[in-house]
Amino acid sequence: MDFDTQVKLTVYHHFASTARAPQVAHVAAQLGCSLEDVRQAYARLRANRVLLLEPDGCTIRMAPPFSGVPTQHRVEVGPQTYFANCAWDALGVPAALHREAVVHSRCGQSGAPLRLHVGTTGPESSTWLFHCLVPAAQWWVDLVFT
Amino acid sequence: MLFFRSEDQVQAWCQGRGVTPRPLVRMAQLWEMAVAWYATRLEPSARRPGPDEIRRIFAGVGLNDAFWDPQADEFA
Repeated sequence: MDFDTQVKLTVYHHFASTARAPQVAHVAAQLGCSLEDVRQAYARLRANRVLLLEPDGCTIRMAPPFSGVPTQHRVEVGPQTYFANCAWDALGVPAALHREAVVHSRCGQSGAPLRLHVGTTGPESSTWLFHCLVPAAQWWVDLVFT
Repeated sequence: MLFFRSEDQVQAWCQGRGVTPRPLVRMAQLWEMAVAWYATRLEPSARRPGPDEIRRIFAGVGLNDAFWDPQADEFA
């Protein structure tokens, strides 16, 4: 397995087990490499649209579907509460973890709360809708806005 | 990428921002998209889908509009 894949999996498994982004030092310790090695891998993973980083280049903002910062899309899985980057990623968290979850979010217009149970084979029946303003061809132009 | 309680709420949201409403996605479709995108994300072999695969994923859940095409000229 190449180094960038090892870094990516370390990041993702840390998110999965803790619901939070790992520090660079944690990833470096796990892989027995330097902080600079991890930073360089992060930059390549960003270039390949795997991670989205803060301007410091070492803080993970997004490892889709996981968010490194609090958002309006919370996903409860057992005792853990994950933050998702968007409505799509809110369903992506249980899909990635293969676990039942409860998604908490809200209507983008009215603010009405959404509480949606998601089983391992899909969400409960719901009349709520998903709307994406940005076309697929432009998603990574500004992923935070998307 | 937001949830909305109804189509009326989407229309109001778009009108308030002066933007064009985009294709609406039902929750069951969104789940299929989430599975296609993320079900293998924690596995060593996981990778981002390429443009053709992305088109197939969206077409597979009934989303054939150019809006979902990652290389659509009209949106690039």
